Amino acid sequence: MDARTIIESLSSEFPEAISESEVESEIRVRAYVAAEKAKETCQYLKDSLQFDHLCSVCGVDYPKRGEIEVVYHIASYEHPVVLMLKAKLPRDSPEIESVVPVYWNANWYERETYELYGLMFKNHPDLRPLVLPEEMLGEWPLRKDYEGFPNKTARNLV
Amino acid sequence: MGEVKAKKTSDIKNTPDDEIPGVITTTTSAIHNFLKKSKAQDVINWGRKNSLWFMTQPMGCCGVEMIATGCAHYDTDRFGIIPRNSPRHADVMIISGYVTKKYLPALKRLWEQMPAPKWVLCMGDCSISGGPFYESYSTVQNIDEMFPIDVFIPGCPPRPEALIQGFVELQEKIKAKKDLGTEY
Repeated sequence: MDARTIIESLSSEFPEAISESEVESEIRVRAYVAAEKAKETCQYLKDSLQFDHLCSVCGVDYPKRGEIEVVYHIASYEHPVVLMLKAKLPRDSPEIESVVPVYWNANWYERETYELYGLMFKNHPDLRPLVLPEEMLGEWPLRKDYEGFPNKTARNLV
Repeated sequence: MGEVKAKKTSDIKNTPDDEIPGVITTTTSAIHNFLKKSKAQDVINWGRKNSLWFMTQPMGCCGVEMIATGCAHYDTDRFGIIPRNSPRHADVMIISGYVTKKYLPALKRLWEQMPAPKWVLCMGDCSISGGPFYESYSTVQNIDEMFPIDVFIPGCPPRPEALIQGFVELQEKIKAKKDLGTEY
């Protein structure tokens, strides 16, 4: 299964949801997916296109566009193609369906993306902070407009 | 620690009703306060400075140097410096890395679990100033406001020899009664 057939199969299965799909090379493809169809797309990728390995889930903040993108990197144990699947979400209320029922290892990825960007993953089994303390919830430190960085170093140095 | 002791001794002086005629009553803290002013404290400090057991609690890459210091090659037993695995056994806590906001409560709890007298060493640039992480959203600045730190050991990471020298400096401070772990 090569990159072009994967994109064609994906676009024909979800003609409204998949957009801006592109074959970057023989082993890298990328596509945007509508946020409400992300879970169904992942289910189709896993069941029909042998994309059985979720590499990462992360977020990208675009304050000028007022959008936050959630990025899934999905690969396979059967063929060498890596798919970068993106979904655009509104910045004031980013919400997307969790893919934990499809890929179980998305659990901790989504928890970390939630604590760093404030991306709400609906129907996540256990959405609480992973590595940040509980009291930092709501600061969303990896958003571009975060201003909670300390501007001083220890007194001993100066 | 010192305030409580001072209070108890002053209570004894101010309440003569508790005193039994012909019998001198005292308390453990009163004895401690008496000893601190006498020459016996020099002997006590000599014992304390030669049994600085430190807690094996590595927090970053300096922790690897800390463990290497405790191994046989550097033979820290000759100074009485022995690594211990429990805070209940330890006299010295080494802050050997950046302190994140999530880790600070655990570090304070370890510090409270250690029995007095106890001392803190700051090992490495991360614990002194934040190091490369000084501008991070998740690290705590100015760790010396939270712990009475006696010796700062710079380096990234400091070699085991530097850590041993830090221990020797702490021994000198204890010998000179200048350490922050005890109140004189």
